[in-house]
Amino acid sequence: MTDASGLARPVLEVRDVRVAYGARTAVDGVSFEIHRGEIFGLLGPNGAGKTTTLSVIEGLVRSTSGEVLVDGVDIRQYPAAAKARLGIQLQSTSFQAELRIEQIVKLYGGLYGLRLTREQIIGSMREIGLYEEMGKRFKKLSGGQQQRLALFIATLHDPLLLLLDEPTAGLDPQSRRALWRRIEQLRGTDKSILLTTHSMEEAQAVCDRVAIIDRGRLLAIGAPAALISHHEGDPRVLAVARGPVTLEDVFIGLTGSEIRG
Amino acid sequence: MSSLLRADTIVLLRNTVSTIAGIFLPVMLIIASTFGKAQARLGGTENIIGLALTLGLVASCILGYSLALAYDRDAGVLQRLRVTPAPTWMIMTSRLLIQVAASLSSSVLVLTVAAILHGLTLSAGQYAIVLAVAILGSVMFLALGQALVGLVKSTSAVNAIGRVLFIVLVLLGVLGATGILGGTVQTIAAFSPVGALMTLFTDTLTSAGWAEQDLASLLACAGYAILFAFIGIRFFRWESR
Repeated sequence: MTDASGLARPVLEVRDVRVAYGARTAVDGVSFEIHRGEIFGLLGPNGAGKTTTLSVIEGLVRSTSGEVLVDGVDIRQYPAAAKARLGIQLQSTSFQAELRIEQIVKLYGGLYGLRLTREQIIGSMREIGLYEEMGKRFKKLSGGQQQRLALFIATLHDPLLLLLDEPTAGLDPQSRRALWRRIEQLRGTDKSILLTTHSMEEAQAVCDRVAIIDRGRLLAIGAPAALISHHEGDPRVLAVARGPVTLEDVFIGLTGSEIRG
Repeated sequence: MSSLLRADTIVLLRNTVSTIAGIFLPVMLIIASTFGKAQARLGGTENIIGLALTLGLVASCILGYSLALAYDRDAGVLQRLRVTPAPTWMIMTSRLLIQVAASLSSSVLVLTVAAILHGLTLSAGQYAIVLAVAILGSVMFLALGQALVGLVKSTSAVNAIGRVLFIVLVLLGVLGATGILGGTVQTIAAFSPVGALMTLFTDTLTSAGWAEQDLASLLACAGYAILFAFIGIRFFRWESR
């Protein structure tokens, strides 16, 4: 876990990543690192490049230039090894509608080389409150239940880094708080998490550091409190603040007030 | 791979469209042909069984496989699988292998029903060739289904076009081959995917053995399989957005 200099190696290194679709640049030279045990939030308006950046890290989109290292493993050169270190919850989570929970767990366990016994699965389902639903097909689960299962599947193989793309989108407040608690539990196990969100409340509540991205470029990066104190004198931020400066004011100040896609 | 194969088998068995289309249709045709003069009107026992075998393959591959693939792509199932360490070829190969196995099972069932109701008796060699032709037909129609999903992004459009394609292919293969639509259509029909495959099935089922025309049909089926597979792979997108 340490590099040649003896320093702890970042769990994720994103170096000067650029993604272009013809003349349109979706991600323009984005660089950041995530360290062990850190919860990192990627914030940005619709179409800012958050999901594309995440897709490059997940190996779903090939970057035009730059590199992504997961625990030192290049995702382009060694996709299987890099993906084995990642736990992923996509924005639109869907498993095969006709499979039952137990079958989904076995499928994804198998894809990560795990042999799970029925007792282990039952124990896990009790922990996440899905034991009663074990016999149900995925399509019969509620949105919150599907989200809980998706998070469980993402952490099934004990990954170093968890990627969560808008994990609380569409959840009721109870489910959202429950997910935040689960994220806090994962922080306690020294896992690193990269999440994208539109909720500044969520970013402030759970993230150690956040990066604000817009039009494919990284505009600011740092701890939420540090970002607020650094930008509280910025005229763009002061123009939108309605009281003490918040992370949302910094976000709107830096990315603009116009409504996006 | 075994986890994917297991999951894909479960999904396929629960896919009612695929089951009804791939098994129910050909078996019903065999049963229906035992009544009245249907057998003679449809060109004799071998023709009926050849048609039933072909119908099962077309239906399960075009109506079943392509629609299930389009639905999973639209719902994000394929993307979720792609972010696991499983290589993409494995994800697709698992589905195709299960579908070929299902087509073979359907063909065995059709032959069994035909043996009971029509007294079909084949040598071991003939059974082997029929099953080999069934594999070839399955590959050809799966490639066609893959090309459909590759060229059409919307699930509802895949569904609609798949149904039209199914009807057109079957009508061209069956009606065209009779000559009632003219000599040109008859020639086209004989080398259409359904027509060529029906020729191979029918000639294998008769004890006369293969003729020169069968080699042409075999080449036509292989050609279609290669062409559609190329289109299906070249234009396939893992997400519909």
